[in-house]
Amino acid sequence: MSGSSPAIAGEGSAGDGATLAFEGVGVSRAFGATQALDRVDFDLRPGEIHALVGENGAGKSTLAKIVAGTLRADSGTLRLFGEPYSPRRRSDGSAAGVAHVRQQLSLVRGLTVAQNIELGRPRRSGSAAWRPWPRVFNSREARAEVERLAAELDLSVPADRIVDDLPLAVRQQAEILISLAWGARLLILDEPSSALGPLETEALISLCLRLRDEGKPIIYISHRLPELAELADRLTVLRQGRVVTSGTDVAAADLRRIAELMVGDISLLEVRRPDLELGEVRLEADGLRLAAEHGPGLRDVSLTVRAGEIVGVVGVAGNGQEELAGVLTGQLRPDAGTVRIDGIEVTNSPAAAIGAGVALLPEDRTAGLAAEFTLAENLIARRVADAPFARLGVRLRAAVRRHARALAERFDVRPPEPALRAGSLSGGNQQKLMAAREMERNPAVLVAAGPTKGLDPHAGRAIRDRCFETARRGGAVVIISADLDEVAELAQRVVVLSGGRVTDRFGVEEMTSARLGAVMAGLAWDPGSEAGLSPAGSGAPGATP
Amino acid sequence: MSTDAGDATPTGSGDTTGHGSGAGGLGGDTDGALRADTTFERATISLGTSLLAVVGALGLGAIILAGSGQNPLTAYGAIIVGSFGDWFAIGETLARAAPLAVVGIGAAIALRAGVITIGAQGQLIAGSLGALCAGFVLRDVPSGVALPLAAVAGALFGMVWVLIPALLRAHLNVNEILSTLLFNEFAFLLMAYLLNGPLKEPKAITPKSEPLPDSVVLGDLVASTRLHAGVLAVVVIVALFGLWTRSTMGYRYDLFGENPRLAHSLGIPGRRIILNSLLISGALAGLAGWLQAAGLLQRLFVDIAEEIGFFGLVVAMLGGARPLGILAAALLVGTLQAGGLHMQATEGIPASLSDVIQALILLGFAVRYAPQIAAIARRAVRSVSETLGAVAAWGGTGGGRKRPEAS
Repeated sequence: MSGSSPAIAGEGSAGDGATLAFEGVGVSRAFGATQALDRVDFDLRPGEIHALVGENGAGKSTLAKIVAGTLRADSGTLRLFGEPYSPRRRSDGSAAGVAHVRQQLSLVRGLTVAQNIELGRPRRSGSAAWRPWPRVFNSREARAEVERLAAELDLSVPADRIVDDLPLAVRQQAEILISLAWGARLLILDEPSSALGPLETEALISLCLRLRDEGKPIIYISHRLPELAELADRLTVLRQGRVVTSGTDVAAADLRRIAELMVGDISLLEVRRPDLELGEVRLEADGLRLAAEHGPGLRDVSLTVRAGEIVGVVGVAGNGQEELAGVLTGQLRPDAGTVRIDGIEVTNSPAAAIGAGVALLPEDRTAGLAAEFTLAENLIARRVADAPFARLGVRLRAAVRRHARALAERFDVRPPEPALRAGSLSGGNQQKLMAAREMERNPAVLVAAGPTKGLDPHAGRAIRDRCFETARRGGAVVIISADLDEVAELAQRVVVLSGGRVTDRFGVEEMTSARLGAVMAGLAWDPGSEAGLSPAGSGAPGATP
Repeated sequence: MSTDAGDATPTGSGDTTGHGSGAGGLGGDTDGALRADTTFERATISLGTSLLAVVGALGLGAIILAGSGQNPLTAYGAIIVGSFGDWFAIGETLARAAPLAVVGIGAAIALRAGVITIGAQGQLIAGSLGALCAGFVLRDVPSGVALPLAAVAGALFGMVWVLIPALLRAHLNVNEILSTLLFNEFAFLLMAYLLNGPLKEPKAITPKSEPLPDSVVLGDLVASTRLHAGVLAVVVIVALFGLWTRSTMGYRYDLFGENPRLAHSLGIPGRRIILNSLLISGALAGLAGWLQAAGLLQRLFVDIAEEIGFFGLVVAMLGGARPLGILAAALLVGTLQAGGLHMQATEGIPASLSDVIQALILLGFAVRYAPQIAAIARRAVRSVSETLGAVAAWGGTGGGRKRPEAS
C-alpha cells in the first residue's frame, strides 16, 4: 500500500509525560431506564496497561464502546492524546487510532489475514488519495505488511491463510496485528482471555507487555485478577455503572480486596427464605462432560439436588452455565455423564425430561416463548393434547382460553388476556408467562437461568416466590445465575462454576463477597492464608456432598 | 387488573397494523374466533394488508393501462366478464383456482412450520405422471375405484418427488429452497423426455401423451364448461386444512415454525416436522397435478404445471397461510388468469397486463413486508451458502449432522 503504514514504535506521543493517552470525565450513558454508566472518570497514561474490572453488566463494555466510538456518551467529555475527542461512530475512533478488539472478533470470514488488512482500512484525511480503480485484494504489499508486523511482534500469524482456519488465539493476534497496521495508537482489549487456554493467555500477556513497552497504551477489560496482576499497571473497578476504585496501582493493591469490591455487598439480611424440608434426591447429574465451540463447556460436573432444595450455580457468564442448563433439561447431549430425575435417566431427551417433570426458565427469554402466539397458545404448550384441552386431536379453544385466563391471573401476568400476543407483553410479564407455563403443575425439577434478571422488583419478587413455592412442594430447584444477590436470596447451597468445572461448593451462610469474588475471579479460596493468590485453574473441587 | 395497569407495555413490532381493517373484505375471513386465537403472521401477511395490496395494484394497473392507451374500465370489465360473466367463465375461474388453492395449502403447512418449499412445480409434474400411470394400470377398473386411486397415485408421486430434498433438509440441513428448485428442473426435463419419447402419442405433432383412460377422468360438474368434479376435492382439502390449524398436531408444527428452540425444549421432534411438512406439501402439489391431468386437461403436456407451483406459494402468502385466506387468494389469482385471457381475446389487450397486475399485487405486499422478506432472503442466502460450503467440504468431513449456527 502507500507509504503511510505506520511503524509500530515511535508513535506514542512521547516527550511530555503529562499528556494522557485518553481521558474521560463525567461519562454517562443510559439505555432506556438503565444507567449503564454514571459519571465515570477514566484515564489512560501513555505506555501503561490500565485494567477495567467489574461484574457482568458493570458497564465495562459500555465504556469501551464509548472510547472506541461505537456508542456515544450521553454526557461527559473525552480527550485523546490531549486533544478533544468526540467520535460519532466506530470508524471515527479507528481513524483517530483507537482499536477495539472485542470478544466477538470482527475479522471477515472467508478472507485471508492480508485481505482483512486491506478490507476496512480506515481512510485518513489527507493521506489516502482517491483512486479510480478498486483495491486489489491479496496484494503483495499487504502480505509483506503482515509478515513485517508479525516479525516485529514475534507472532506467527500467517498472511495467506483464511481466517476461519486459524485457531481462536491466532485470530485474536491477527486482529491486534491488523489494528496496528491500521494505525492504532491505543488498544482496547475486551475480555481477550475469556476463551483462551492457559498457554495462550501467557502468550497474550507477553504480547500486551511488548506492545506497552513499544508505546501502545492498552485498556484491558477482564475479571480475572491473577492475569491482571501479571500485566496491568493500574486498575479501575466498576460496579453498576459507577467507579468504585479508580486507577489503583496494581503492584500495591490487595487483590482480595479488589475481588470483594467487584462483587459488592451481598444483602443476605433481607432474605425471607421459607423453611424448606429436604427430601429424597430428585436430580442427579453425574460426571457431565461437554465440549463447546465457544468457552470451556463442561468438564466433569456432578450435581445432586434433593426435594425441597434450592441450589445456586454461580460463576461469570460463559463458564459452562448455558451448557449445564441444556444438559440438565435433556436438550443437549453431553459427551459423557448421565442425568437422572427421580432415578429415571433423561440424558439427551427433552421429551423424557418433560415427562419426568422438568421445568426450564431459559436465560434467553426468546428461547422460551413463542412471541407471535397468543398467551393462551403459549400457556398450553406443555399440555396441548391433554384431556380438557383437546379431544380426538382437535384443540378445544374455549377450554384453553378459560384455563389460560385462570393461570395468567394466578401468576399475575398483566394483562391476563388469553387472546393477546405474547410478544406484546413487557419483559417481566413475559417471564411470568413463561413461569406460569413451566411451573403450573409442581415440577419435579426446576432449572431457572437468571430467573429475575432484568425484572423490576415487583416481578422479581413474584418469580422468587414461585421458586420457593416449587421447592416447598417438593421440587428440586437449580438457579443458574451470574447475579449473586439473586443466588443469595434463593439458594441454600451454592456451587461455583469456573472454566467448566465446579471449583467450590458451600452453604449459602458461608457465602461472602470475599470468597465468591475470589473463586469467581479464578483465585483459589484459602481463608487461612493472606497470600493465597494462586490461580485456580487446576482447581481442586471442594468436598462433594 | 390491579395497581400496575401500565405494566403491560405493548412492545409489538407493529406487524399487526391493518390487521382488522379490511379483514372481511376478501370474503375470506369470517372466522373471527380462529383469528383471535391464531395470530399467525410470521412469513405471511394479514388479510387486511393483502386487500390493500390488491386495491393498490389495481389502481397502479389502471394507470399503466391508461398510459398504454387502453381504457382501464374496459380492461377490468373484460376481466370480470371473462371470470364471472357466464357459467363457462365461472367454471374457468374455479378450475384455475382449484390447483392453486391445493398447492397453496401445502405451501402454507410448510411455511407455518418454518420451511420454505418452492418445489411444487416439480411435484405437480410428478403428480400428473402418477395420475397417468394410475390411468394405464386401472384402465378397466370401474371409475368409482379408479378415480380415488388415481388421486392417491398423484399424491404419492408428489411425495416421492420431494422425498430426497426433505431427507437432505431434515438430516443434513441442505437448504430446501435450493434442492426443491433443482428438483423442479429434473421434473420438467423428465416430463419433456417422456412426452417426446415413451409416452408420446404416436400421431401427435407436438409432444403430448395419449388421453387418460375414461376410468380416471374427472367428469364435468356443469355441462359445456371445464369445471370438473375435482373442484369438490378442493373443498374437502380446505376443510381438512382448517382442521389442521386447530389440531394438536398442527399446533406442534406451528410452534416449531415459530420458535424451534422452544419446540425442542418441549420435546417436539424438529426433524420429523421438517420431513413431514415437506412430504405433506409434496402430496398436495401432487394432487394439484392430478387435478390438472385428470380434470382440466385429461392428458399430459410438457407445460402442464404452467406456473401453478410458484403461484401456489404466492397464494399461501397472500392468504396469510390460513384456510379461507388461501381460498380467497386462489380465487383472486384464478380470476385474473381467466379474465386476462378473455381480455386479450375480446379487447385485444395483452393478457400479460393481467400478469403485470398480479406482479403488482406481489410488489404491494413485498413493500409492506420488506423487513420480513429481507430476513427470509438473508436466511435463504445464508443457508444456500452453507449448503454450498458443506458440499465443498463434503469429501473431507463426511458431512456433519449439526445444523450450523450463524455467528
